[in-house]
Amino acid sequence: MRVLVIEDDRETAGFIAEVLADAGHEAELVHDGTSGLERAQAGEFDVLVVDRMLPGKDGLSLVREYREGGGASPALFLTALNDVDNRVEGLRAGGDDYLPKPFAPAELVARIETLDRRQSGDMPVTVLKAADLEMDLLARKVTRRGQKVDLQPREFRLLEYLMRNAGQVVTRKMLLEKVWDYHFDPQTNVIDVHVSRLRSKIDKDFDEPLLHTVRGSGYRLEA
Amino acid sequence: MRFRLPAFARTTTFRLSLLYAVLITVYSAALLGYLYVSTVGFMANQTDERINAEIDSIERAYRDGGLARVSQSLIERASAPDRYFLYQLETPSGIKLSGDLSDMPSEQNGKVGFEIDARRPDGTQMTVNAEGRIIELGNEARLLVAFDAGERGTITRRITLAVYTAAAVGLLLSLLGGVLISRSVARRAEELVHTAEAVMAGDLTQRAPVRIWDDEFDRLAERMNSMLDRLEHLVRDSRHTGDAIAHDLRSPLSRMRNRLEAALARPLAAQDAEAALRLTIEEVDQVLATFNAILRLSRLDAGTEGRLVRMDASEVLVDVAEFLEPVAEAAELDFSIDASRNMHVMGDRDLIMQAMSNLIENAIKYTPAGGRISVSARRAAEGYVDLIVADTGPGIPDAERDDVKKRFVRGDSARTLQGSGLGLALVEAVAAVHRGSFEMSDAGGPPEAPGLKAVLRLRRA
Repeated sequence: MRVLVIEDDRETAGFIAEVLADAGHEAELVHDGTSGLERAQAGEFDVLVVDRMLPGKDGLSLVREYREGGGASPALFLTALNDVDNRVEGLRAGGDDYLPKPFAPAELVARIETLDRRQSGDMPVTVLKAADLEMDLLARKVTRRGQKVDLQPREFRLLEYLMRNAGQVVTRKMLLEKVWDYHFDPQTNVIDVHVSRLRSKIDKDFDEPLLHTVRGSGYRLEA
Repeated sequence: MRFRLPAFARTTTFRLSLLYAVLITVYSAALLGYLYVSTVGFMANQTDERINAEIDSIERAYRDGGLARVSQSLIERASAPDRYFLYQLETPSGIKLSGDLSDMPSEQNGKVGFEIDARRPDGTQMTVNAEGRIIELGNEARLLVAFDAGERGTITRRITLAVYTAAAVGLLLSLLGGVLISRSVARRAEELVHTAEAVMAGDLTQRAPVRIWDDEFDRLAERMNSMLDRLEHLVRDSRHTGDAIAHDLRSPLSRMRNRLEAALARPLAAQDAEAALRLTIEEVDQVLATFNAILRLSRLDAGTEGRLVRMDASEVLVDVAEFLEPVAEAAELDFSIDASRNMHVMGDRDLIMQAMSNLIENAIKYTPAGGRISVSARRAAEGYVDLIVADTGPGIPDAERDDVKKRFVRGDSARTLQGSGLGLALVEAVAAVHRGSFEMSDAGGPPEAPGLKAVLRLRRA
């Protein structure tokens, strides 16, 4: 995956490039808003990582202009501020995700990878499949190997998110935000409890587990 | 250097007193002037009239019987027991015919004023003022009728003296009064100034003295004192917060430092090194989380966070409760949710979520296994919605309830448990943003475990 990193702090930019390289992605670094927009418009990148505060042109205007110019690559905002207004502003300007600094490397990689995945699969789907697990989004029904699995509404949403990102690592923070709309960290390991409940419903009666814990990062649904 | 008046003279009161003194002086001068004219002037007029009457009567005698008759009349008048006037009769050439004086005043005719030697009853000589008129009797003689003004002069002098004395004493008294009043006012103002200066110098415990009169200075001092109370409170709070931040962050930072030193001192096996680094990162994350919470609280306090829209509070409450329910169950707690839908408030979803999350997580943390947590939403009186979290835990003693809402203050029973000490402070701040309230009370359990009932009250929309 080719990632354009627009970040004026060179140390942070270098750190991001290293993290992405370790995950097998290629990063190009730009340190100001004006040349960032130019490079983005060249259209060679799968994902943009954009700092909110940039010299030349701030991150919000950059992404807004990029979208107005027809740019379609997903964009992830990096910011020092984590409040609601900032998040909402970022998404309105055409950002696809939002990550406050400081962030864990695994968090950044997981988010960039799910962004790219969203980009490639833009066909509307009604049925999600992962190995022998099937989810019918219209009938709101889940089966594994033809056997019906009963899920609570939130468990259904959790599984849906995991299945849409099957094969990808999703972090606890991502689950908090996308499934429960929680934008702060709870003091307890509540996500783990929810995941283990879901796991007991889809994996318990089967010898091959689908829902894996990725140490230090989060979870991955994979055959 | 600029010339400086004494403190009392540099006051509004002094300037007003001075103005007052001037006005009083002008008024007294007018009053005394009138008094002078109406007494001394009146006396002078009366004397003139009596002299004229005397002269008329002597002129009549001259017309009736000539100079001889005049002389006769003068002798009679001079020997009268109530004799009042001085007389002198001369020839036109200036030769004395008869009279009291050794010689006539040099003036020709009309009004004259002169001095005469007189004899006191004890025989001593004295000089007195006299006033009178000189007329001509035909071509034969000149007549002077004069009045010994000594007595009147004394009265006039006394009145004049009284007027001047009264004016001087009045001016002096009003100046003195002005000075006294301004000094007392200046002294009380000075007390306030001293207090303010002491506070500016850093002693926030200083208070302005309040007297018993409940006058404007007392009221000012009282207001100033309550302002200082509030200020002292705020400063103590922020000092406490600063100390607490330093204290709370020192331990994880020194632990991290020790771990890094240890890792440097001897080569570690790869997995030990990884474990050490992971622990360090976790601890850094804790520190960052504390900072984020502090920043969030500051933004809430400053009113720069929180966008209120019409929303269903019970829906948010149920979301949060359902999210946390599995944790309560894992802790062997009975968990119940009781909230009917459609309890609309003006609120910020994220903030209410976080506040309720903090309250429910606290309840889970402090309630021993086997206990019960009930989460509910109720319509309260006067247009409010109450979001309630009640547990069967140890509760918070009445005396500590206000304290635990402060930043970094944790109840005695909570000290051993993990936590930032910012959770309830955030709930309080969220309540303030919503112009609602946050109250805690006993949940009605037995004395050994009264439980805690936490209520976030929001305005209904």
